[in-house]
Order: sequence, then structure tokens, then C-alpha cells
Amino acid sequence: MLKVKKLTKSFKKVLAVNNVSFEVNPGEIAVLLGPNGAGKSTTIKCIAGLLRFDGRITIEGKDNKSIEAKKVFGYVPETPALYETLTVWEHIEFIARAYNLEDWEETARALLIRFEMDDKKDKLGKELSKGMQQKVSLICALIINPAMIMFDEPMIGLDPKAIKELKDIFVELKNSGCAILISTHIIDSIEGYWDKVLIMNKGEIAADLTRNELIARGESLEEIFFSVTGKEEIGQ
Amino acid sequence: MKALLFLIKKSLKNLIKGIVKKPSALIGFIFVFAFVVFIIVASFLMPSGLIRTASPELYNGIVVAVFAVLYFSYLTIGMEKGSTYFRMADVNLVFTAPIEPRSILVYGFIKQIGGIVVLLFLTFCQIPNLRNNFEFQPYGVWMILAAVVLFALAYPLISMLLYSWISKDNKRKKLVYYILYAFAAIIAVITLLDLIRTKSIGATLENVFNSPIARYFPIIGWTGSIAAAAVSGVTTEVYVGAVGMVLLITGVSAAIYRMSLDYYEDVLEGTEYVEAVLKAKRSGNTMTFNANIKNKTSNRLFGKGAQAIFSKQLLEYRKTSHFFLFDISSVIVILSAIFYRLVTPAENMSTSATLFSILGFASYMHLLIQGQGRLNAEIEKPFIYLIPDSPAKKLFYATMPEHIKNLFDGLLLFTLSGILFKADIISVLACIIGYVAIGSVYVYTGVLTRRMFGSVQSRNLIFFVKIIFSIIFVLPGIIAAVILGLIAESWLLAICGLGGWSLVFGMTFFVFSSGILNNIEAAG
Repeated sequence: MLKVKKLTKSFKKVLAVNNVSFEVNPGEIAVLLGPNGAGKSTTIKCIAGLLRFDGRITIEGKDNKSIEAKKVFGYVPETPALYETLTVWEHIEFIARAYNLEDWEETARALLIRFEMDDKKDKLGKELSKGMQQKVSLICALIINPAMIMFDEPMIGLDPKAIKELKDIFVELKNSGCAILISTHIIDSIEGYWDKVLIMNKGEIAADLTRNELIARGESLEEIFFSVTGKEEIGQ
Repeated sequence: MKALLFLIKKSLKNLIKGIVKKPSALIGFIFVFAFVVFIIVASFLMPSGLIRTASPELYNGIVVAVFAVLYFSYLTIGMEKGSTYFRMADVNLVFTAPIEPRSILVYGFIKQIGGIVVLLFLTFCQIPNLRNNFEFQPYGVWMILAAVVLFALAYPLISMLLYSWISKDNKRKKLVYYILYAFAAIIAVITLLDLIRTKSIGATLENVFNSPIARYFPIIGWTGSIAAAAVSGVTTEVYVGAVGMVLLITGVSAAIYRMSLDYYEDVLEGTEYVEAVLKAKRSGNTMTFNANIKNKTSNRLFGKGAQAIFSKQLLEYRKTSHFFLFDISSVIVILSAIFYRLVTPAENMSTSATLFSILGFASYMHLLIQGQGRLNAEIEKPFIYLIPDSPAKKLFYATMPEHIKNLFDGLLLFTLSGILFKADIISVLACIIGYVAIGSVYVYTGVLTRRMFGSVQSRNLIFFVKIIFSIIFVLPGIIAAVILGLIAESWLLAICGLGGWSLVFGMTFFVFSSGILNNIEAAG
């Protein structure tokens, strides 16, 4: 599971994330929503261990920057970036080596087929379209069989078949007990899959609700988003 | 570390496989390889002090001054953006993997070796010029190379350490900047005062940068002294410099290795910046990258058909530059050419011969630092192919700003040189036309290279091939012009001959390269 406690991050004098705390439990799909500049990307980068921060982030009880935590953590960045001179298969092999995976080849082949990339496995990173690069990013994150996985705008650039497969994978990961955090702007894309919503605004968590709590309030995800971020005032 | 070694091994293997698979890239690499071998062999074997034997003190002064400028500019840039050896693929796939940050740092260093190769190539290009002017020691080339390698290893380490320290507190950043700029200002004032006294750049370089304080000065003096051994021989300063640099590199590496285990944030901004620069380069948008673009200018579009491309480019220049076509490359070419002439004075040289040597040096610098121009950005977009006009006319108008820029730079350089060296107006005009003609060879060689190799190949490869092609076609012209000048005893004739030669090749390349605008496939 993922635990974020009192996460605070400033860039020089700008407070990007202010005292943010939340949890994502095993078998739970949490969605991180928020308008541009809300602090989502900074939060994501802190969880991925790319930024220094105040507060504490743990994955499976281990500090997020520790080797133990990284072993069980999968990350799909917003913008895929692959090695230009490595083939698709070599990317997966590199991840398998970096994470010390055993008997990963069968899983890799299955994932390649699932994302219709089996005929592209010998293509170099620079020869792939943006959508294909996103698929490789997804496969690299999934191949490690993560206990916690974080997706940053995972649907962007994917074709309809890949989007469908990814949605199925969300459910499979959830059923296997994986903690899932998805950051997105497209509310419709995760409707029907999420268990918990975290809405960020101005660097803070403006709402932390489970699906049942939202149903009890009688509001839709879109309505709660606009009400807590104050964006409905712009529309009026 | 095993996984990272796998990454390096596979990347290299695939790079070589990619070159062998594509005949055009292979030919290009063979050209580059042959040229590099030629330059290396020439650097080691050519006789030194052929044109003149300037004093070792002057050489020492020049190299220490060059390293002072290099360290200052690289450190200020490195501190602003954070020096980085990494790419975004490393950030996404390596930084998040369960690999020790120490091992990732070592991996970064190994990657840096690629950068050193380019730096060494550029250094090799300068060695023949140095050998012409100074008496080299038998081991001289090795000493210069050692200094360049040490510099390439030291500056990223120092900037990374400084960046990690200053990024935590804005006051620290200000302090380091104040120290650096105050240091630069003190040196500038000392140099200026000495220059007023001696009225000779060469003498000032010797007095200021070859002084014991400069030669023993940490980092700059140490690196400079190692390079100085190429001409001055191995002195105490060289031993001090070598020990100092080795201690510095190991010490800073150890400090980063032991202390700064949380350096990912420090390199993230720099890596994102590098990625954005590379993306801009790929799409040919280097001119508009990071520039403040004005929404409105007093300029209007004019012309019809292909001429509209030219007027659009002029409008873009007006929106992105305060000084129109005058940019940093203009400053470098003009200052370096005049500086070259001032520090290497030759007795009994006529004013026309002086202008000819300035033309040669300026064209050489122009070749090394020429930008990509707007054409690369144009051919990435569909409009230029769709405009109903002939490809030749479109190419002519699309490259017109390059010729205007060369004319503008040439006008400034040779008017200044003409005043400084009291040259006659005919020689000045001939040099301006010659500079534009040589520039046209560079412009259309670039287009032709793009037509031959396309945009899919490595940018560095295309850059090298373009340089080699330019040299192949301009150098014989320079040699022929020198022979003509010596035989006819008229350097004005030599300037005109070089200009005429270049004009013929410029026009020939224009004809061969105009097909690039037939369709988007022809542009690669």
C-alpha cells in the first residue's frame, strides 16, 4: 500500500504541495484529480522518488526512495521516454535485469500480444510512435508485477483497443491486491473503475472521498470536482 | 550495475548495427572516420611553427585564458539548469528502478565519455592551427588532449556539486553567483588595465594569464598549465596542475558519491531542459526555442509565391530577435577573427594579405559555429511544399536570410578590420563578397547533406558530414588562392579568386539541392 503523510514541496518560494496526506490500500484504485497547477505532477514525482520533499512517503511500509520500495513499485509517466537505440524487447529485458526478475519472458510475450506489440518487439525506441512508446512504458511497469502502481495520464496516445486492455488491467491489478494510483484530467476515462478520489487544488487535497461516500452525497464525480475546485463559478 | 552495463552494451551494439544497416549512414560515418583519422594524423605529424614561431609565453597565456572562459561559461550554465548526463528515459526507467543512486552516477559518467569524444574532435580541429603558430613539444598533442579530458570530467562534477548545494537555498545561489561574477570582473579589470598599459593583446595575455598566480590558480590554472606543456614543456606548474586536477576530480566524485545520494531532483530540471533543446533541434526550432516572441512588430508580410517564405522569415526574425540577424554567432566570428589577427601579428604583411587571413579564419569559425538556419524548420512543415512555385525559387527565398546574415556579418567584420588595419575599400568589398560566397557553400552543402542523408540519421553525423563536405570544397579554393596570391603577388586577386571559386560551388550545390523541396520525402 501507499502512504503519503504531510507531504510538502516548495520550489524556491513557490509552495507546490502543502501538507498533503492520503493512503491507497491494497486492491484499491485511487484517482488523483485536479486542475492544471494543482500540484498533481509534483505529488506524482515525489512518490516516484524523483524530488526531495518534507513529510513521509512509504510503499509497502518502506521509504519510497529505498531499494525495497522500488522493487514493488511500477510507474507509468505522463510522457513516455524510451532509449532510442534499444528495441522494445531490450527495454523489457533491461527492466527485468534492473528489478532482478526471474522467468519474465512468458509474461513479457503475453503483455506484448495484449497490447498488439508482439510484431514490434525488435523495433527501436526511436522507431515507435508516441502511442506505441506509451504501450512499452505500460509493459515495463506491469512486467515487475507491482504491489503498488502509479499511472500519470495513462490513456493519452493509446488506441481504443489498448484503452480497453488497460481498463481490464486496472481491474485485474485491483483483484490481485495491487494498490493503484491514477492521475488524470479525463474524468470520463476512469468512471466506473475508481474506489477513491483525491481532488487536489492549490497544492492541497480538497476532497478525499470513497465511491460510497460520493454516492451518499448524491453527487457525480464531475459535480464534486467542480464544486471543490471552485471552477463552477467560472461557468456561471 | 549489471542492468546498467546491459543498457550501455545494447545501446552501443544497436547503434553500430543501425549504421551498418543503412548505406547512407555508413558512407557518412566512413567519411567522418576518415576525416577524424586525417585530423588526428595531421595533428601529430604536421611540422609545427611552420608559419611562425610565436613565444611559449603567449601560448600559455592563450590556453589559460581559454580555460578561464570555458570554466566560467560552463559553470554558470550548469548552475542555472543543473548539469546532467541523463536523458528522460533514464529518469523514467532508471531513477525509478531499484538500483543504487551511486551506480546510476557511475553510469552517468560512462555516458559522459560520448561528450568527451565530441570535445576532443573540436580540439583536434584547432591543433593544426596551433602547430602552425607555435613550436610544439613531441608529446604536445597528448598534453592538450589530457587537459581537455580533465576539463570535460571536472566541469560537470563541479557544477553538479555546486547545483546540489545552491538548489537548497536561494541565498547560497546568490553567494556563488556573486563570487563567480566578482572573480570574472576582477580578471576583466586587470586585463583591461594591462591592455591600456601595453596596448598589445598578446603582451597582456602573457602578463595576465601566464603569471605565476594564473598558472597555479586552482582548476583554471591547473588545467591550463597541463595544456601549456604542449609548447612550454613539463614544468613544476604541470605537476601541480596534474596532481590538483586528479585530487579535485576524485574528491568531488567522492563527495557526490558519499553525500549526495538524493541528487535526482538536481538533475531532473537539467534533463528536462536538455530534452526540450533536443526536441527543438529535431524540429529545427532552435531559433524560437526559449525566445521571447513578440506578438506584433511593425514589419508586414510582402511578396507573392515563393517570396512570401522570405517575408515570413524576416517577420519571424523581427519577432524573435532584438538585433535582427545579429546574434551570438556574429559576435564570435567577428571578435575571434579580429582577435586572431591581433595576437598573431606578422611583419611585412600587406593589408590585403591581412584581410585575406582574416577572411580565412572568419570562414573557418563560421563553419564550426554555423546554425541550422530556418530552412530545417521550414521543411518539417507542409506549407513550403504546397506553395505553388518552383522548388528552386522556394529554396532560394527560404535560404535568403542566411545570405543576408552572412552579408551583415561580413560587412561588420571587414569594415572594422579595414579601419583597424587601414585597408583599401576594394579589398574590404572583395572580402565581404568572398565571405558571403563561402557562406553560400556552407548553406547549400547543408541542404545537400540533408537531401542525401535525410533527417532520420544522427544530427551529429549530418553536422560532421556537412563540415567535411564544406572543407573538401572550400579548402582547395583557399590553397589555390594562396598560391595565386604568392605568384601574382596580389592578395586582392587571391581574395577575388577564393570568392569566385566559392560562388561557383555555392551555385552548383544550389542546383543539386533544390530538389529537396519537390516533396516531403526528398527532405527525409
